[in-house]
Amino acid sequence: MDQFFQQLINGLTLGSLYALIAVGYTVVYGIVQLINFAHGEVFMIGAFGALSTYLLLFDDQTQVWILPIMLIGAIAASVITAVLMERVAYRPLRNAPRLAPLITAIGISVFLQEAVRLFYDKIPGFPSAKQRIPFPQIDVVTGPAIQIGDVTIQRAGIFTMAALAVCSALLWYFVNRTRLGRGMQAVSQDPDTASLMGINVDRIIVVAFAMGAVLAAIAGVSQGLQNSNIDFRMGFLAGLKAFTAAVLGGIGNIQGAVVGGLVLGVVEAMAIEYIPGQFGGSSWKDVWAFVILILVLVFRPQGLLGARVVDRA
Amino acid sequence: MNERITERLKLPDSVVQKYGRFGWPLGLAGVALVIVGAFLSWSYDPDVLGDLSLNLYPGGLQILAIIIALVSLALLLIVRGPLKPRFGPWVDAALGLRAAGTWLLIYMALIVAGISAEAGGLINVNPGGWVALLGALLLFAGSRLIAPSAELRDLSEAKVPSSLEILVIAVMMAAILFGAAYALGREDAWSFVLFLVFAGGLIAIGVRTGFVTWFGHSSIRNRKVLTLAAFVVAFFFPFTQGGSDANMSIATQVLIFAATAMGLNIVVGLAGLLDLGYVAFLGAGAYVAAMLSNSAFATIDWKPPFVVVMLCGAGVAATLGLIIGSPTLRVSGDYLAIVTLGFGEIFRLSMFNLDGTNGPLLTNGPNGIPAIPDLEIGSFNFGDTHEVLGIELARFSNYYFLLLALLAFVILVFTRLNNSRIGRGWVAIREDEKAAEAMGVNTFGLKLLAFAVGAFLAGLAGTIKAHQDVAVSPDQYIFLESAFLLAAIVLGGMGTVAGVLLGATILKLLPEKLRFFSEYRLLFFGLLLVLMMRFRPEGLVASRRRQLEFHEEDEELAVAVESELAEEVGK
Repeated sequence: MDQFFQQLINGLTLGSLYALIAVGYTVVYGIVQLINFAHGEVFMIGAFGALSTYLLLFDDQTQVWILPIMLIGAIAASVITAVLMERVAYRPLRNAPRLAPLITAIGISVFLQEAVRLFYDKIPGFPSAKQRIPFPQIDVVTGPAIQIGDVTIQRAGIFTMAALAVCSALLWYFVNRTRLGRGMQAVSQDPDTASLMGINVDRIIVVAFAMGAVLAAIAGVSQGLQNSNIDFRMGFLAGLKAFTAAVLGGIGNIQGAVVGGLVLGVVEAMAIEYIPGQFGGSSWKDVWAFVILILVLVFRPQGLLGARVVDRA
Repeated sequence: MNERITERLKLPDSVVQKYGRFGWPLGLAGVALVIVGAFLSWSYDPDVLGDLSLNLYPGGLQILAIIIALVSLALLLIVRGPLKPRFGPWVDAALGLRAAGTWLLIYMALIVAGISAEAGGLINVNPGGWVALLGALLLFAGSRLIAPSAELRDLSEAKVPSSLEILVIAVMMAAILFGAAYALGREDAWSFVLFLVFAGGLIAIGVRTGFVTWFGHSSIRNRKVLTLAAFVVAFFFPFTQGGSDANMSIATQVLIFAATAMGLNIVVGLAGLLDLGYVAFLGAGAYVAAMLSNSAFATIDWKPPFVVVMLCGAGVAATLGLIIGSPTLRVSGDYLAIVTLGFGEIFRLSMFNLDGTNGPLLTNGPNGIPAIPDLEIGSFNFGDTHEVLGIELARFSNYYFLLLALLAFVILVFTRLNNSRIGRGWVAIREDEKAAEAMGVNTFGLKLLAFAVGAFLAGLAGTIKAHQDVAVSPDQYIFLESAFLLAAIVLGGMGTVAGVLLGATILKLLPEKLRFFSEYRLLFFGLLLVLMMRFRPEGLVASRRRQLEFHEEDEELAVAVESELAEEVGK
């Protein structure tokens, strides 16, 4: 049973990370029906933004008060990237056939990865991003794991889960209780009518991108703390998994993204433990995640919680 | 692009009216200066950009300048002179001259920049170079002053004897063969880039004068000749290499890439189904071939002849294609893209894991299957050097011919399907699936067929690739490779044969020849995708119909497409 709880905790940790990223996919998709394939890169740039802030301001320090400032740095980097990407690449394609933005997204994704890989060490004092870069260790949120009975919980894992809880609450408040959030809901239901009602649709779209970027940046920092290193490729797999999570929960549905992320994380962790024989174990966990993605898309494309029926060619 | 530059550099009408009479003499003087300059020495240092340091004995890059100058001379004579009555009403000589002026100026400026960068300083540029640069400048200025011809006749009405058309096609093809051989022979990046500028200039002139339009019409009339000529040219390419295998290695890679991209073109270009995991089919073929090969690391103890291996590889790939295609019953659009991406990753991870400890021993996991022996069909070993007509054809040349046959087969399948009931069904599905279904098109069956045929062709290519690459490993089949294949199609023009061949060539050839930028290759690749989607989403060689899908509000284009369709039906 201990094994079960251990894997449950591992799964929830992993799932929280997926959930934080998945919100970005789901919000953007809900409003402009665009799979922002480059969102994984926004997450990666968030992690690098945090690292840059640390290297510039607090090199070699470990006090916990550094963390919020690192988070701000991460959020700034991610939001700037996401907003620029929307403005420069996606906005001109808003009425283009569906293929165009998807290919653009792949292009942006490759471009951002390469830009970080090639140019990160051009900034004086920064390490080369061609290999993995160690991520700073911060008091309280990293360090010796906490033991409850036989279950081990990493401190960074707790940070991730706490971040998800806080972000979900704020997100709920933002979407349901603020003018901007309600404008967002209106645009996602019917952009034309919303704009007739005086909602600036362009602005709402930018806000959606920025909101996704904020959560992705927090996820980036969490991943850095958990793995204690980051690299320029980290966005691809995480982005794909997070997209799976968003689909699993019902894309376009914010609560769905959170639930989907947690479910996906737990399923992955359980697959490691409970699938017997050679096809179990950690080397197949990614395969199982993709199998879930395909099964969900085929059999329940509206996701677990359901969202607007998506039917577009 | 050229259009944009030319528009921006346009002089105000008043200036053209006032000084227009100087345009023609100025252009003529420019052409004369360029030719004279090209016969003089350009560079003090004989070791840069080939040898440009001799007087009266033009080197390769100088001859290119002379060619552009001669083309400009012909255009000048069309504007005013003996060629005017014959060609004046058809050829837009003034716009052609503007393109020639612009590109010749870019070319000469790059030459000067190249010499000074390679040899160390402008001091190394000899008078000839400056004379030619001045000539280019004069031609540039003069061409701006020549007013465009007022009335031009529709080029589709231009009638010349069909023997002449065939001759032009043959000459064009021969020019492409020599151009390709010449470009591949350039060792240094500067010369290669300069040749590209030269080729770009000629193409721009062709587009602006209307030659390309005319050539397009005449090649539609003589399609079979054109196809045949293209393959004859490709067939003779190894014989231009003088036994050297270095360029043939690049050429074989281009062919494999092109054949795979052409298979993907069926799925994406014809049926409109976005597949982001297509490289898995190539990988499936390659892995099957490797496992059934005589390699000491092969994991299956059955060594059938290669024809059987090919069919097995393609069969396995096609089966995978059917499996991957099956969700199309329920998902479409972006969702389908993600499903295929997921399948692609599952394939790669499976190949990575099936190493005996994490699953049955099939692929040796991350190490892959190395030491795959060369193909041997009958008594013909592809690894040996054979001599044909006194020219040695080494290993890669042998594979080149095999791959060329494969590419021909793939193109045949593509065009036959495209012109069939099936192909029309695909177009209908692509443009409006619901309407197609209502008209009685079996949408699910046709979509599955697209996946299966595409996968089959990629599997075929994969079986040859395994032998040619000597080894297979999971990291050859990553997502980025699928993205590259897709990019070749997008860049060239979805659903076209010529476009995809062009796109595949550009994407494989440029990084090989421009080693200095290999570090930035992917960066530019990403940027290229974004810019293409922004400015020319229909690709370099666009099928009109595709173009219309991306520019729905363009009424003129719609009319053109309609008349073209009518023409096709009438034929």
